[in-house]
Amino acid sequence: MPITILPPKPSRPLNTHLDNGPSSRPSSSSSNDSSASGGADLDGDLPMTTQKPRHLTTTRSSLDTSIVTPGETITDDPQWMRGHGTYLPPASSAITSSVAGTVTRTNKLLSVRPLRARYTPEVGDLVVGRIVEVQAKRWRVDVGSTQLAALPLSAINLPGGILRKRTETDELQIRSFFAEGDLLVAEVQQLFGDGGAVLHTRSLKYGKLRNGVFVAVSGMGGGGGVVRSRRQVWTMDAANGAGQIDVVLGVNGYVWISKHVETAVEAEGAKAAGITNMEESVSATMYSSQNDRIETETMREIARLRGVVTALVENGLRVDEDMVVRGYHEAVEMAMVSAEGSDDIYLGGERGQQLAAALTGV
Amino acid sequence: MASSQHVLLSPAELAYLHDSLSLTPPIRPDGRSPAQFRPLVAETGILPGTNGSARICFADGTEAIVGVKAEVERTAQRAGDDTVYLEGGEGDEEDVEDGEAREGEDKRKGDSAWVEMTVEIPGLRDDDSGTAFLAAMLSEALLADGEFAKRLWINRRFHWKLYLDIILISPPLSYPLPLLSLTTHLALLSTRLPRLKSEGDEDPFFDDDWAAAPYLFPRTPTTTTTIATTARPPITLLVMAVGNNIIFDPSKEELAVADVALAVSVTGSTAAPHADDAEPEPGRSLRLLSIRTIDPPSRLTPPGVANAANSAYGAAGTQKMLEAATAEVEAVEGVWKAPRGGAKRVVLGALVQKVLERGGVVDEVLDALEGVDLG
Repeated sequence: MPITILPPKPSRPLNTHLDNGPSSRPSSSSSNDSSASGGADLDGDLPMTTQKPRHLTTTRSSLDTSIVTPGETITDDPQWMRGHGTYLPPASSAITSSVAGTVTRTNKLLSVRPLRARYTPEVGDLVVGRIVEVQAKRWRVDVGSTQLAALPLSAINLPGGILRKRTETDELQIRSFFAEGDLLVAEVQQLFGDGGAVLHTRSLKYGKLRNGVFVAVSGMGGGGGVVRSRRQVWTMDAANGAGQIDVVLGVNGYVWISKHVETAVEAEGAKAAGITNMEESVSATMYSSQNDRIETETMREIARLRGVVTALVENGLRVDEDMVVRGYHEAVEMAMVSAEGSDDIYLGGERGQQLAAALTGV
Repeated sequence: MASSQHVLLSPAELAYLHDSLSLTPPIRPDGRSPAQFRPLVAETGILPGTNGSARICFADGTEAIVGVKAEVERTAQRAGDDTVYLEGGEGDEEDVEDGEAREGEDKRKGDSAWVEMTVEIPGLRDDDSGTAFLAAMLSEALLADGEFAKRLWINRRFHWKLYLDIILISPPLSYPLPLLSLTTHLALLSTRLPRLKSEGDEDPFFDDDWAAAPYLFPRTPTTTTTIATTARPPITLLVMAVGNNIIFDPSKEELAVADVALAVSVTGSTAAPHADDAEPEPGRSLRLLSIRTIDPPSRLTPPGVANAANSAYGAAGTQKMLEAATAEVEAVEGVWKAPRGGAKRVVLGALVQKVLERGGVVDEVLDALEGVDLG
């Protein structure tokens, strides 16, 4: 079966977890799933339901068109406050949308959640980025935001964990740490006024990435994507004797899946992780771009995990630890019963839909 | 030779991808089998103002539409070709002059100028070398054998002029050649031209009943008594090789580590079996129309640095800078090294062989495209 050609589906009704329509929108109807936080969705994250995939949510009345376009007036009732994605046109008090998206209501605050948006960095976010430019004292990193993030030379660990001032020698060999195209995992340390981010990799958890594959999924909005959650990085046991696999879900929607390599720190135990003995604990392989030997089974499971992530996004589900781990186990079971056996790792098209249905059905 | 667009990947990623694609069987990052295409969504007849149109959408969001428009055009008369109004007997003389007897043969003639193809890729200028190369490749496949232009012949004074507008709607997330080619194929399949009512070399006069308009590529064989063939528009496939593995429809990342990438244009025709031929061969007879090499972006990638040569490796820290000459050394496992030199002849041969295999990938692709409802 080298090719599958499907007829077009009717366009998917967009995620509408709110029932309020335009202009009549901020009425009395309460949003039905702002559950835990007592009606107020404080952190602004999309409360995405895991009960049903979006395209199965069918009950939408004709009035319920909660998509607004830029320039559309949401309400002119002065009791509402304007939030993100809205503005007040000059000499008017009508709240107007500045993006295309769905209206969300938090008590008296109206905001519009864009259907598609670039990543907006926040301090403390764990991001996966790619170096696109090397400058004299810093790197410019693509993190899927509107601007390139900056990674100053002073914000990285030196090989061997030496703590000293960065000298001209370091500036001259800046490409030996990170060169164009290199992938890294970092944390947002600081934000500029214009929304640009400054990153740092001054932790043993951060640094250059190798031994795996990269996949970029859409960031926030629109349904699927990586959401901020408790754990963005974890190590999981893969099936079929593939050993352990690391998964890094960058908040910016960049995902890294790689073979787990035990570092010296882990081998010794937890005692080594302080800043005082960083010289010993900073791994020697920190800036290596040489892959370790990776077994075929591991590669296969890494590809399977990548398929799970892509399938989740294509079917409008959120991507977090719980969903990825469950999706992976589901995928392993699906492969067991499929014709080709457990080596079958393809999760595109209908397989992906099956997987999504299995994940949301329970 | 044209280069596909450059993707920025780290040496570690390139090395990983290359390793996993060199395994037997290869492990593709999206889990497909080597000959498997990305699933796609296709429909035809989406543009009401055209003679034929199609839209194809890949699951990753790349999407293309193709519209085919036809208009009647007067065929330019060349000097010495003024025997148009004369009847058969006079025309024979000229045929003899040409050195070939065309009596009873296909009198239709075609000209490649009768087809005009434009390709539009968002974010690229239309005189960009990549776009121009794509357009050249697609029209070359269509016009290579001269059979297609013959279909546009009305009579000796008039012909159809066909305008093919190929538009990629989404940004080019992967090398768009296969997508554009499949969409063009589908649009041509769905193209209908009004039925001709006039006869001979009169000014053409057409039936205004659109339902009666015949397809440019008829579905069913026209004759049933002798060898009838149903010709199909050509398709151009992107095929690449890593090591000895042959991979169809590569994604952007896969193309980035290709040792060799080819754009192969083929056309297939199903020959209805002879009455005396008891055992018809399965599949189509495939004909190779053109081959172009695509310059894979892998050649432009910087090599990875082996740990042994990495000044930032280990606690040494302040090792002296590497000289540029030593950066390119012999292969170390797990370190990316851009492919150098040309493609192996064996591999190229195997690539073409695999494409032209009877009942193989191309056959199934053509079958699948034929299964699309021509709305």
